[in-house]
Amino acid sequence: MSRRRLLQGAAGGALGIGAVGFLAGCENTTTPIGTSEGATGSSKLVVTKPTGPGGLPLPRPDNSVTWAITPGHEPIADGLPNESGPLGIYNYADYVDPSLVKKFEALTGRSVQIATYNSSDEATAKLSSGAVAFDLIMGLSANNIVNLIAQQLIRPLNHSYLPNLAKNVWPELQDPFYDRGSRYTVPYVVWSDGIGWRNDKIREDIAGMRVPWDIFWESQAYRGKVGVLDDKRDALSMPMQRNAMRTGLRPDLNTEDAQVVARAGQELGQLTGICNVKVDITDYQTLPEGKEWLHQSWSGDLLQAAFYYMPTGVPASVLSYWSPNANGVVQNDFFCIGRTGKNPALAHRFVNFMLDEAVAYGNFVNFVGYTPPQKNIDAALLIKKGLIPKSLTDAVVRPDQFAANQELLQLSVAGEQSWDQAWSKFKGG
Amino acid sequence: MGSRWTWRLLALPGVVWLSVFFLLAFYAVVAVAFGNQNTLSEPVPFWNPLDWNVGYMLATLENIWHGEQFLTVFVRTFVFVGLSLALSLAIGYPVAYFAARRAGRRRGLVLLLLIVPFWINYLMRMLAWINLLSPDGLGTRMLSAIGIERLFISVNLLASRGGWLEGQPFTVIMALTYGYLPFLILPLYAALDRIDQRQIEAARDLGASPAGAFLRVTLPLSRPGIVAGLVLIALPMSGDYYTPDLVSSSTQTSMIGNQIDQLTRQGSEKVTGASLTLLLAFVLLGLMFYYLRATRSADDRGDA
Repeated sequence: MSRRRLLQGAAGGALGIGAVGFLAGCENTTTPIGTSEGATGSSKLVVTKPTGPGGLPLPRPDNSVTWAITPGHEPIADGLPNESGPLGIYNYADYVDPSLVKKFEALTGRSVQIATYNSSDEATAKLSSGAVAFDLIMGLSANNIVNLIAQQLIRPLNHSYLPNLAKNVWPELQDPFYDRGSRYTVPYVVWSDGIGWRNDKIREDIAGMRVPWDIFWESQAYRGKVGVLDDKRDALSMPMQRNAMRTGLRPDLNTEDAQVVARAGQELGQLTGICNVKVDITDYQTLPEGKEWLHQSWSGDLLQAAFYYMPTGVPASVLSYWSPNANGVVQNDFFCIGRTGKNPALAHRFVNFMLDEAVAYGNFVNFVGYTPPQKNIDAALLIKKGLIPKSLTDAVVRPDQFAANQELLQLSVAGEQSWDQAWSKFKGG
Repeated sequence: MGSRWTWRLLALPGVVWLSVFFLLAFYAVVAVAFGNQNTLSEPVPFWNPLDWNVGYMLATLENIWHGEQFLTVFVRTFVFVGLSLALSLAIGYPVAYFAARRAGRRRGLVLLLLIVPFWINYLMRMLAWINLLSPDGLGTRMLSAIGIERLFISVNLLASRGGWLEGQPFTVIMALTYGYLPFLILPLYAALDRIDQRQIEAARDLGASPAGAFLRVTLPLSRPGIVAGLVLIALPMSGDYYTPDLVSSSTQTSMIGNQIDQLTRQGSEKVTGASLTLLLAFVLLGLMFYYLRATRSADDRGDA
């Protein structure tokens, strides 16, 4: 491996020049949590943690970042009329309720065109190629924000178009550490990583276990019916969380320590022998159908399962979900506005429309299944409306979980390689 | 003279097509595999061979040499493909033989019946099987009713009742066989159909038993068809990743295609993915050469 690193280092330096070159217009400052915003005009670069593309800081809860607004790339002016459209949206497939899009079209008299992507890498690669101009990008997360900023792919927001942000969105996400002041992004939905299971098939009281993650390492009896998420960050962070729960220490789920990551990979690999673990993201379907009984899950997938995927005669109450209150994974993704889009005012209005409480609720329960971080939408409301059983209470993410859990964030290139290598080893069986 | 130019002109679209969509595309993979990546983890191809960076390829070869995961998946892939080929031949040869030499006037119908299921998209057929073989699926119940399930459990191929899709290697081998079988049968059928009946009759006249005539005449004459069919299905099988993903998604059944898919689609190891692609291509190129040599020597014999 050392030879490869050497070569990479040598060529990486040369390649880096190009990257920094096109970043020249993008200044940024970092501010510690709690202090007021840093200077906007000066080009002071404070780097205290591993850095991302072009030497930009990688945001962390203890290293929050205010992205600079640079001359020539200011937000749009207040009160502009809607452009003529069509509004070009770039989103994950099936990640916004089409009936709400129609409603927006009827409201504004402008048409909406949605293009879809299948992975965030695909999205950032296509955006950075510049081949297509999108007005609005949905579904990317703090894991991608440095790439978006470094390549100047997004436009700063004008909050005067977004009154619903302050009115409806959790205060915890109004000024997030990855984008202080929500200068470039507005949260769309939130989710947690947890355990989804069939409580009519699994005998153990998982939520009552001291370390619920242990169930995966004790799942010999459920061989062939156990799965983990097919996502390197989510899956590898599971043994890290388990170890932390056992020892009472706080894990760093964004660690760049190759040894820690490799160890997590080895521990995850034990599951191959224990239960011939599956690696997939189809648990929203396989759990309701009984093809799998125990799965590491995204909270939203369990809600989707309860909303849409229960076979006739199987009540949603056979599904259970547990997620940790602390030291686990919570994530959110966001809306951002494309730098080169021709309809920025219309894009702002679409974002504000989606942040409306009734719209956000409809999008949540009628289509997406992932929780919008809205002040008035919580598990109690869904249980009261008979939409989900009590056993899925944990699947509706709470604002307090955001403070005590961790987001999986963008790593440095070297850091990410250690995760990729551990993941490739694990998946090779 | 004039006709020679006409033929060359007719070959032009094919040549252009191959140059752009095969040669150029393949060279792009080579340039990525011997290139580097930028600080956004995006691959940077090195188009000039003088600049090539062999670091990623060496790291990939080192991984194989040290018996790490790439060796595991390469070996597993070839075992899966080898077993699937053997199974395909065992099933496909008798079928092709029957259709070509025994079905008489109904051979067209037999061939049609063989092909009809494959009018349906590969993914759709696989998804249908996933439902049929789910724990309470129709297929599972039938296999249980006719005792196949018990047989598989007794020889330890199946862990529990209804567990056809619980990530066992044999499920993937069966799925590969099922998916690619018709592409073996068709060239085999063509080869068997071409065999001159009189040669077999001559063998019988000279005292060969039916089995002897088959072994000494039919089988050797159908060899080009066997090789063509096997190569034809071995190539896509070796790079397949969606079949193991669909019917198993267990780490114990992940093939080289899965590694390539995972490394190139997402993350910071795309260049490694390209070098794996190149290694697989070299192995398959070896297979192709074997096929070309085998068919050419058969042609030579035919000419003589």
